[in-house]
Amino acid sequence: MLSMGKNDHETIKAVLEGDKEAYGALVVRHSQSLFRVAFRITGNEFDAEDVVQEAFLRGYQKLESFQSRSKFGTWIYRIAVRCALDRIAGRQADDSSRVAEEADPEREQVQVADEAAGPDRLLLSGEIGALQDLALRSLTATERAAFVLRHMEDCTSEEIGAALGIPPNAAKQAVFRAVRKLRGRLAPLRVMR
Amino acid sequence: MKHLGEEELIEQYFSKGAAGFGQHLDACAQCAEAYAALRSDLDEMEFAAPPARDPAYGERVWQSIAHLLPAYETPKRSWLGIGLWKGLSYASACALLVVGAFFAGSLWEHNRSRTTAGSNPPQAPEHAAPPQQRIVVVVLSDHLDRSERLLVELKHADAGSEEMVSPLRDEARSLLAANRICQQNAAKIDDPELAAALGRLDHLLDELANQPGGVNSATITRLQEEMNADGLLFQVRVLRSRIPDQQAATTAQSKEGTI
Repeated sequence: MLSMGKNDHETIKAVLEGDKEAYGALVVRHSQSLFRVAFRITGNEFDAEDVVQEAFLRGYQKLESFQSRSKFGTWIYRIAVRCALDRIAGRQADDSSRVAEEADPEREQVQVADEAAGPDRLLLSGEIGALQDLALRSLTATERAAFVLRHMEDCTSEEIGAALGIPPNAAKQAVFRAVRKLRGRLAPLRVMR
Repeated sequence: MKHLGEEELIEQYFSKGAAGFGQHLDACAQCAEAYAALRSDLDEMEFAAPPARDPAYGERVWQSIAHLLPAYETPKRSWLGIGLWKGLSYASACALLVVGAFFAGSLWEHNRSRTTAGSNPPQAPEHAAPPQQRIVVVVLSDHLDRSERLLVELKHADAGSEEMVSPLRDEARSLLAANRICQQNAAKIDDPELAAALGRLDHLLDELANQPGGVNSATITRLQEEMNADGLLFQVRVLRSRIPDQQAATTAQSKEGTI
């Protein structure tokens, strides 16, 4: 996943001794990897950038609780995953409040097209990837994060559990559920290939 | 044959074969087909790749959050200006130094006494009592001295005076334990006269020290009479005067004593 040397620990020591600017080195060093995982979980460039900033802010606030036994890269990575999880969970809640069977202007609800039901249209426009992203977004926040970490970041169940704050077995089950749902959603693509 | 479930197939896929279902998949065509379908689905999932960030991205992130971060206060140094572990290390080193100095001192003392013994001419056996044996004699001698003084004071004590009785009682308590040790030693060295005298002394000291409700004038009077009747003071004086003559014999026999 991430591998950081003792330089990180020396930098953290300097930060905790009052050298705020030293934290900049950590931000520069780990921003790219945090952006990558944040983007994969949120699926959105702007959200991912916000997640990166928020992760480093939270990391700075909790820096005193950082255990020098662990790697800073792993630690801040987990914080970023949590931030991304919060971000998509909040967005899903926001989206669900705005989607209804019938339009209700008073409740600020709108009707949206069920894009998943029309794969032909997406296929015809060459947007298979978009359909897959849509399928990914249909997962719950935990399922999505667990799947991304397993499938794209190559994390183990233990690492996923630690990042999401759940037991490894629950992380494994979240991955199973995510795969099952994605396969169900993407079944029409299989027929058309 | 029991077929693999979807969860097992997924585990096999993500563990890159390490889940241990490979053998079954080789033998079972149905599971192999299901696994191939799963692998095909997952392999062909092409999610949007993260857009590339330029090398200055990290710097931009830092600039965007730097103004929001308050600097940590510089931690105050402890009274030694060192951390806990360093403090413990110093303490351990000091303890080691003290222990080392102790052993070095013991060794030096041991060597010195050996050298002294080697440089002095050997003494005649009757005057060469080892230090431990000498201590026994000194203790017995000292004990008899103190006992004699106590008995003299008791003999002349005014039974009605609390001021006189109280120190006697304290001195008796102090002598009681030593007397019992001397008694045991006397039994070991097989000295019936000494043992008998110390036995009578023990009885008197016990009465004086542990009288329930404290020592009253009647008790003092009784003890004075008993002491006179037994001739205890006289016996103690005789034993005390005998000590220098018996030194060699007593100490030789008390080698196995516990004093």
